Amino acid sequence: MAENSVIKVNGVTRVFQVPGGEFAALKGIDAEVPKGSFTILKGRSGSGKTTLMNIIGSLDNPTDGEVFINGTPIKGMSEYERENLRRTQMGFVFQSVSLIPSLNAFQNVEFSMRMAGIKPSKERDKRVEECLKLVGLGNRMNHMPAEMSGGEQQRVAIARSFAHGPKLILADEPTAELDSQMAARVTEIFKEMTRKEGITILMTTHDVGLMGAADSIIELEHGERIN
Amino acid sequence: MLGIMLEKMWHKKWMNICLFLGCILLIATVVSFPIYRSAAYDRMLNDEFINYLSSEGKWPTLIKGTVVSKRDAHGKTLAKVDEMPGKIYEELGVKEVNTFRMLNLATTPMSSDTKRADAQKVSTKLSCIDNVEDKVKILTGEMYSESGVNEDGAIEVIVSQSALVDMGLLVGETFTFDDIHYIDRSDIKVIIKGVYAAGDDTGYFWQTKPEKLNDNLLCNSKVFRECFTGENAGKYTVTNFTSCMFDYDSIKSKDIARILDRTNYFCKESAYKSLLKEPEYLKLIDDYSVKVSRISATLIILQVPVLAMLAAFLLMISGQMYEMEKNEISVIKSRGSSSGQIIRLYLYQGLVITITGAILGIPLGALFAKMLGATRNFLEFDLSQTLKVSYTKESFVYAIVAVLVCLLSITVPSFKHSRVSIVKLKQSKALKRKSWWEKLFIDILLLGASLYGYYNFNKNAGNLSNAVMAGESLDPLLYVSSSLFIVGAGLFFLRLQPYIVQLIYTIGKRFWGPASHVSFMENIKNGRKQQLIMLFLIMTISLGMYHATVARTILDNAIENTEYLSGTDIIIQEKWTEIQDRYGAYTGDYYAPDYSKYVSLEAAEKYTRVLYDANGHIKAKGGDNLTATVMGINTKEFGEITMVDRSILEKHYYEYLNDLAVVENGVLVSSNFNSKLGYEIGDMLTFYNVRNKTCTGKIVGFVDYFPGYASVENGLNPDGTPYSKDNYLIVAHFDYLNSKIGTTPYEVWIDLKDGYSSVDVYKWIEEKKLTIKKYVDASMKMQATLEDPLLQGTNGVLTMGFVVTILLCAVGYLIYWVMSIRERELIFGVLRATGFHKSEIFKMLLNEQLFSGVFSIFAGIGIGKLTSKMFVPILQQAYASKNQALPMKLITVASDMYRLYGVIAAVMVVSLGVLIVLLFKMNVTKALKLGEE
Repeated sequence: MAENSVIKVNGVTRVFQVPGGEFAALKGIDAEVPKGSFTILKGRSGSGKTTLMNIIGSLDNPTDGEVFINGTPIKGMSEYERENLRRTQMGFVFQSVSLIPSLNAFQNVEFSMRMAGIKPSKERDKRVEECLKLVGLGNRMNHMPAEMSGGEQQRVAIARSFAHGPKLILADEPTAELDSQMAARVTEIFKEMTRKEGITILMTTHDVGLMGAADSIIELEHGERIN
Repeated sequence: MLGIMLEKMWHKKWMNICLFLGCILLIATVVSFPIYRSAAYDRMLNDEFINYLSSEGKWPTLIKGTVVSKRDAHGKTLAKVDEMPGKIYEELGVKEVNTFRMLNLATTPMSSDTKRADAQKVSTKLSCIDNVEDKVKILTGEMYSESGVNEDGAIEVIVSQSALVDMGLLVGETFTFDDIHYIDRSDIKVIIKGVYAAGDDTGYFWQTKPEKLNDNLLCNSKVFRECFTGENAGKYTVTNFTSCMFDYDSIKSKDIARILDRTNYFCKESAYKSLLKEPEYLKLIDDYSVKVSRISATLIILQVPVLAMLAAFLLMISGQMYEMEKNEISVIKSRGSSSGQIIRLYLYQGLVITITGAILGIPLGALFAKMLGATRNFLEFDLSQTLKVSYTKESFVYAIVAVLVCLLSITVPSFKHSRVSIVKLKQSKALKRKSWWEKLFIDILLLGASLYGYYNFNKNAGNLSNAVMAGESLDPLLYVSSSLFIVGAGLFFLRLQPYIVQLIYTIGKRFWGPASHVSFMENIKNGRKQQLIMLFLIMTISLGMYHATVARTILDNAIENTEYLSGTDIIIQEKWTEIQDRYGAYTGDYYAPDYSKYVSLEAAEKYTRVLYDANGHIKAKGGDNLTATVMGINTKEFGEITMVDRSILEKHYYEYLNDLAVVENGVLVSSNFNSKLGYEIGDMLTFYNVRNKTCTGKIVGFVDYFPGYASVENGLNPDGTPYSKDNYLIVAHFDYLNSKIGTTPYEVWIDLKDGYSSVDVYKWIEEKKLTIKKYVDASMKMQATLEDPLLQGTNGVLTMGFVVTILLCAVGYLIYWVMSIRERELIFGVLRATGFHKSEIFKMLLNEQLFSGVFSIFAGIGIGKLTSKMFVPILQQAYASKNQALPMKLITVASDMYRLYGVIAAVMVVSLGVLIVLLFKMNVTKALKLGEE
């Protein structure tokens, strides 16, 4: 296994029980995501990309095969350990709006740092500001989620996902609900983050227009990797 | 459509279950009130009859009349009178128990056929009593025969023992009436066949005891009717005495109006008006009606807060329904359903819930009513004493109203669907805004109004008890002010609550973990959403506390007062024989009965002689007579039997007795001798007993309270205005008093041993064949106090109100939390995905519960305590009986509070349990809608 892959997926299969039998969403996927890369997980809806994302994010277990995060297998971890892994080493960006409605932009970003166990301090506040500035919301820090547009909210979510300094950001269709201009802007931010912070980013999308920004692309079709 | 509806309901089963529970409770509560009321009134009515029966020994529901018919051509009058009982039973709509009908000929002399030397000249009346045959037992001789006439043509008769003795009759003797004859002028002969007495187990058949029928010769009624009534009636004077006894047990409160109306018709208008006597039950019904009017208003007033809570509950449900459905409605609508279809969908759903709710709720309401009747104290039931309940028309009307209101609250959201987007916008904006009541300072206004009421009632506390004494019901305003106070204080707390949370947050800012942090923020930002459920919780608990205190205070004060006024367990006064002088005039002296026999009264722990004369008097300064109660006691023995609570006397009760004990001619007098008449300690006081015998004593002390003594007597003048009269009490030494006024009948005050009751004393009295003039049984008085319908009804309604509101509160609380979790499923999913532990989610919810639930509970407890402190002393005035002698005190019993806390804790635990189940069932990926399938 290469030293520099943050994610290593080994023959991952995921079978769901459905009425009338079984359905294999993933059929023996192998993949690696190098450290500091911006990788896109591509595929049509139903191709199994979200399932793979969930398994990589330790939210779901593969029926067969293994996933290593920074060389550590997820398989042996307890739920508690996985949760700690997620809150310290990973950042998530979801398709739909996922901010805590009772917290303003600043507090939402700060919250991920709290969760990662970073104690309150001036530095922490500064870091939150930095992150929000990075996503271009330096002037909207005190706004509540309900007072922001979808794109703005998504950018806050991105700021939140990397504020606590994770090694890996998993972004599941973060641009799906945004217009193409905003989608491009979001992708740009991701790209910048890999450059500035050395974070590894895995993003799913079916938007062909965004592919150009990717360092590498993993493409799925009917649960199989096709590239 | 049915399919869609059922699917929709199943999809939101938690919410629908809560809604369903809410409907059941609501319908049950609403229905229970009319059922309880009518059952309670039935019981009161029944008690009224039973009390009459046991105190008077006479059948309570009895209407009787006498007619004397002379020259009654063809016996038409008598025939009509014969029809009367049937008509009465039918028109009054009552069940006949017994019709006692006695026909008499006029008293007339008769001569014995055997010319006995010792035969007296006797006058008798030939009589018959219908159906008397199985109500008598024959002591000597035999019953008259079936034909009623012997072979010689003499009418066979039976006589009572007293008639036999008084008139010197012999069994078997034949007589001939001197002055009356058969219609064909032949002699009427009678033969004494036997002597009768009232049979065993004849119930109340013998309204006039056979001993009193001492000149009646009872013959077969068939013979009597053949010979002296009908076509023959014109020749005779026949008296018909009819007494119609009907069942009181089956008379319900709803029958009262009809019975009154029909009785008045019979006694005042009908053809029978001249012969019927106004029955005594009219007075009983009158008494009952007064009680009912006093109680019903009070019960209604007590129910108001409960009904208000129910309304608040519906409001909350409706609001939550709206919140829950608005998205769905717009979705359905956008898919092309018409408004009519949407409304129908919700209407059907509402119908399913409310109708099944009614099917379960109505019987539950009857059960509630039963429980209401079994209430002994706040949250205390005696299930052996449940009420007989039945559904009334009224209860179904209530049920229909409840169902309609429920239905409306479920359906209303579907009417609002067109405004969804605007409202949603408004709501998201309203997040940080203050509630309308906060802006309008409703809490301050309510507090102000209630405090004004408090101030006013406090100032006029005396008027209040007078008004109640005069038969008026509880002043609704009084109750309203305490309720307003609770609402106002509750709202005021809600105004403060966000600041309190903020303060706690700020103080511990450095220590809060992510879970606490997010729950603090949630509460600070979104807390106002919870205001309704919090207010509900606060009101439930503070009303519960307040009601518990009201119920306990009223009951315990009544109990203590009854105990105090009784003085001791049992008081017996035997009938004494008064000494007559040689001219036969009474001297006022008595032969004292043997006192030593009380040693054999096993039931007595201790006993003592007490001279008790409630009609003594003193000469006031102006020379007027003032009535005074004169008592003579043996201080040591009396002190061992009686007690007065230390807290209401200036010094210990025994110290007063000791003061008296050391002065042979000392008297202990009531404080009003000092305050009203100006006597001082050491003054000599001359007083008189009922027979004007005089005694002088030296005042050794003034007492405010003394066993059995009420310083002020309250009551009503004949014109209905209340009066208040001072009572004076003089307590002297038994022996000193006896030596001055002569041997007068004393009472024996008895303290019962544990495990013995009045029954044992009764047995002893019977054993000793004592004739008792006065018998006071404290336990009987206590029983009456405890069974006072006003007290019981108050306890019942308050308890039931609390139970129902706490249940509704639990349901409301659940609905709120289920909604709140469902609403935030996505956020929880996000949190879990980003690594939040389950325990942290749990902690977060626990924190939120703490801020809303636990805060409200503590606020409720605080407000409840405060309200009790302020309003119970006023409220209890209204319940004071006219013989309230002790000062009223506010009573809270720890166990009542523990019960209350227990119920609240149980509710919280159940709610929490449901939340935990919900939480654990929640799937992270599902919540996030991450799964593809």
